Amino acid sequence: MEIVPNHNQTQTSATKPQKSMSPWAIARRKFFKNKLAVISLIYLTAIAVLSLLAPYITTADVTKVNIGDMSLPPSSEHWLGTDTSGRDVFTRLLYGGRVSLLVGVTCTTFILIIGTIIGSVAGYFGGWVDNVLMRFTDFMLNFPFLVFVIVLNAVLFGVISGVWLLIFVISMLGWGGVARLVRSKILSEKENEYILAAISVGGKPYKIIGKHLLPNVLTTVIVQATILFAGMIVAESALSYLGFGVPQEVPSWGNMLSASQQPEVLQNMPWIWMPPALVLILTILSINFIGEGIKDALNPKSFR
Amino acid sequence: MLKYTIRRILAIVPMLFLISVVVFFLALAMPGDALSGEIDPNNSDPEYIEMMREKLGYNDPIHVQYYRWITDFIQGDFGTSVKYKMPVEDLIAQRLPNTIFLGIISLLFTYLFAFAMGMYAGKKPYTKIDHAIGGFNYLMLAIPIYIAGVFAIYLFSFKLGWFPFSGSVDIALTEGTAEWWLSRLYHVILPALVLGAMGTASYTQFLRNDIIDNSQKDYVRTARAKGTPESRIYNQHILRNSVIPLITFLGFDIVTIVNGALITETIFTYPGLGQLFLTSMQTNDYPTLMTLALMFSFLVLIGNLIADLLYGIVDPRIRVE
Repeated sequence: MEIVPNHNQTQTSATKPQKSMSPWAIARRKFFKNKLAVISLIYLTAIAVLSLLAPYITTADVTKVNIGDMSLPPSSEHWLGTDTSGRDVFTRLLYGGRVSLLVGVTCTTFILIIGTIIGSVAGYFGGWVDNVLMRFTDFMLNFPFLVFVIVLNAVLFGVISGVWLLIFVISMLGWGGVARLVRSKILSEKENEYILAAISVGGKPYKIIGKHLLPNVLTTVIVQATILFAGMIVAESALSYLGFGVPQEVPSWGNMLSASQQPEVLQNMPWIWMPPALVLILTILSINFIGEGIKDALNPKSFR
Repeated sequence: MLKYTIRRILAIVPMLFLISVVVFFLALAMPGDALSGEIDPNNSDPEYIEMMREKLGYNDPIHVQYYRWITDFIQGDFGTSVKYKMPVEDLIAQRLPNTIFLGIISLLFTYLFAFAMGMYAGKKPYTKIDHAIGGFNYLMLAIPIYIAGVFAIYLFSFKLGWFPFSGSVDIALTEGTAEWWLSRLYHVILPALVLGAMGTASYTQFLRNDIIDNSQKDYVRTARAKGTPESRIYNQHILRNSVIPLITFLGFDIVTIVNGALITETIFTYPGLGQLFLTSMQTNDYPTLMTLALMFSFLVLIGNLIADLLYGIVDPRIRVE
């Protein structure tokens, strides 16, 4: 498309042209003004970096059982003490963060991809496509989530190994909400004239969805992503706590917390279960705050 | 309304069928014989399995097997539990009252807290106490239910010694006496508190926002102009209007309780259906497991149906599609 040439460029080459901020820049500035969201972002980044660098920060072996060092209270050698198998709690906390965050990030990504594809296709095409896809989505939403994650985990046990089994099962069962949300947004967005224009010049459906519709529902998806991320970390840790999440030998925050099922540990050794509990709560809180911050920042009507 | 109700009920019939088919195929994928419990999943002798399969008709076509299973299921024959060596229906009948009891008490807690906090915050919005309530709810939303349970046991059972941390009743007491009921209530309070706290935050914020919305309306101004006392305006005029949308939450509460019972009952070793589900998972008791999975799905379906119907009552526009 040809635009009328702008003469400002030649005239005001000495003084900088007044350029208005892009919507993303405005959003970024709004976000960084929100103190709670920024503190949360710093906390979450710190947790992620510490977990990623776990092998370089601690030298203790995560999996090796040490009969001699069982259930030691916090000391200078073991900052957060040791658990009932003699493993260093601080080391496990760092490695646990890796697994918990990995499950959270990958599940969220998969769910967003599946949900967005199904929701946008249903919303864009409408008619029988919409009907079939949405009845299927309703059907998926009717399964009690935890119950079927546990059942599917048992059925597929051995087919997929380790942490990826849980990620696969959660992603397969969890996309219903996103699909519904994206569909409803696409439904209202596609009524706009620019979509009619795009169709009338012969735009292919996948291009119209990908290039015109999805960028306009992106803000909703981003906010939904933060909610999902928190939800998935909780789901993983709850399942691991119950003993149906990631394999027992893999350290994750949920697996560490499951030690509290022994009354002895719960009553007398708070250093074993309190650190993962507090880190988990703070992580969820910070994700929620970041989500609120993004939501405010992307909302052009809010002036906070 | 009748037409709408019939339409909604008819709409869940294909869902019921599809869910039962999914559960059936998942059960077939389980080791052993997940439907009737006649084959022990822990016995892997191929000759034994082959003999039992022939005897139980597992070499029949799939649809014949499905038909046999679903007709048995509808008639209340859920097979035999591998672990407890008793019919699954008897096992469930033993545990069901506990779960229902827990669910009702936890709902009472949810309503109690939500109404107390929501009504106060709605009456005095943007005050310090309103912000405190909002902050508290924000925290409650961030704490996973099982961590809340662990902290509750640590604090109330171990440090303060107020409540028991496991079981549903003192087994020394005779069933049906007043003491027995009191003991049941005493045992259910802590798990119900934790389960009830889960729904409280969303109820409270909804009620608060609705009360604030309503207090700007004309009927409230009219009531004020007539000289109606402020407490009467809030507790009667506004509350009646704000409670109506809340009843639609009731259907979703069934879903919350199904998912929440799984976790709370396990933490508190409270012998209900959720705990039965997880123990049957741990002990490869597949007949019990699949029956409960199907039952939970039906409950969720019914919960969503109730929510839909209540929506139809509250908002007549929804009835017309």
